[in-house]
Amino acid sequence: MNHKAWISLYGLLIRTSIRSRMQYKFNFILASFLAALIQISEFLMVAIVLHKFGAIQGWSMYEIGYLFAVMILSKTLYRTLADEVHHLEKYLVTGDLDQLLTRPMPVLLALMPQNFRIMLGEVLQGGFLLIWSLGGMMAAGQTGWEAIPQSLYIIVTGSIILFSIGLATATLGFWTTRISELQNITEDAAGTAVRYPLTLYPKWMSTLLLTLLPVGFVNYVPSLYILRGELGPWVFAAAAAAAGISLALSLRFWKYGITKYQSAGS
Amino acid sequence: MLYFTLASKAYSRNLQYRGAHMIHNIASAVFGFLYACIWIGLGADYTLGEYGTQGMVSYIAFTQAALWVSSFVTNGLGIPQSVRTGHISLDLMRPVHLFTHLMAREWGQIAYQFLYKSIPIYVVYYFAFSLTFPSQLSFLVYAGLSLAGAAYMSICINYLIGASALWTTESSWLYWGNHAMINLLAGFFIPVEWLPEWLQNIAWLSPYPYLLYVPTRFYLGLGSVSALWGTLFWCVLLTAVCLLVTGVLRRKVEVQGG
Repeated sequence: MNHKAWISLYGLLIRTSIRSRMQYKFNFILASFLAALIQISEFLMVAIVLHKFGAIQGWSMYEIGYLFAVMILSKTLYRTLADEVHHLEKYLVTGDLDQLLTRPMPVLLALMPQNFRIMLGEVLQGGFLLIWSLGGMMAAGQTGWEAIPQSLYIIVTGSIILFSIGLATATLGFWTTRISELQNITEDAAGTAVRYPLTLYPKWMSTLLLTLLPVGFVNYVPSLYILRGELGPWVFAAAAAAAGISLALSLRFWKYGITKYQSAGS
Repeated sequence: MLYFTLASKAYSRNLQYRGAHMIHNIASAVFGFLYACIWIGLGADYTLGEYGTQGMVSYIAFTQAALWVSSFVTNGLGIPQSVRTGHISLDLMRPVHLFTHLMAREWGQIAYQFLYKSIPIYVVYYFAFSLTFPSQLSFLVYAGLSLAGAAYMSICINYLIGASALWTTESSWLYWGNHAMINLLAGFFIPVEWLPEWLQNIAWLSPYPYLLYVPTRFYLGLGSVSALWGTLFWCVLLTAVCLLVTGVLRRKVEVQGG
């Protein structure tokens, strides 16, 4: 099969997944609304601090809101298209991965659209934060219109970086079976860390977040240029390079890891 | 004796997963570390009221450790799951009151979390941030008392969340909603007195500040003993509501599976 056929197959699997989700419309709407509400409380927590003190290390409320928004939207894009990579543990523990191995397509392609999630709540919350923060900064003349396409661009490269980190973490599951504790560090904690300027953290930690777990390239590094004119336009190339390199490495690791798969469960 | 057995069973079941929990503790400690870094960053530019930078770091360290006692309890005390499997009908038939039965089990869980989560996390912060231990024993006693009350309130709140599973399949959202309230109103990241005034008023009308803020103030030596009356008031009120709900619940058993 060629690439075009793979993509149309992926599209078909996603459509099937959406149809199954839409069997429970009320649950979907309620869940989306509550997800948005709950997630916004996390930003509110920080917004209250910023409202009281003005800025964190010179970063205003709009700027921190922007870091939050890009992170949320990148993560949403990753989780919408490849949620089951994050939930690989389920397949490893129950042995359900066996079934996917027998399909005449790459395992990753069979796995990714298994449970296509329409994360309306996250899109609403992230979208609202992005519009609010960019709108505020544009009105103040801090950024221009070009920030909009630039933001969309880094959301895409960011989602590739997050996907790669997620995939590499999931791959470790072929050896350890359980991965949720590790995901807590590589995905959740790392993602939370870069909602704030990296200058807050000790040197070893900010270095880690720019190298081994390159989440800093999702939002922080590009924001330095987009919002503050620091560094230079090369940050976009750097974000793309970080995405490309981490994707290549994690795919390679996945291909190696899957050869070590031992079925479990009954 | 029965209740003690239920609690000790819940405790020892967790012992099987000590290794995984220790790895999870690293992740939990990282979160607190991030929050502490934010306050250290803020403390470099502003004076942080009566706490000061080191005080806010201690504040975060204590709340992060206390979370495992007063907020991370089992989702709905496991009721939503037993509604789904139909197990709830058996639970209600037992010659033990559902509320006390589930509560005993949860105390075992909390005891485990206190020993294997709160304490290791606190010890990590103690060395990482060179914390100082409270200077007076009474601070610790009051903090311990209010924390025990907080654990009890949290059990009640989760019992009510669990009970809602008999009416809706979406009770897990209440669980997450409860967490959002803890984030915002319990003083999880920001002391309650620094909230905007209207939000402070809402917070003090709810049991949330008693879950984290009040025990933490005692720990820091800033609390006033009268706050313990608030803890007691909410414990009594929530118990009454739980008992009332159990009465209604007995007549409304509905299982989703079989």
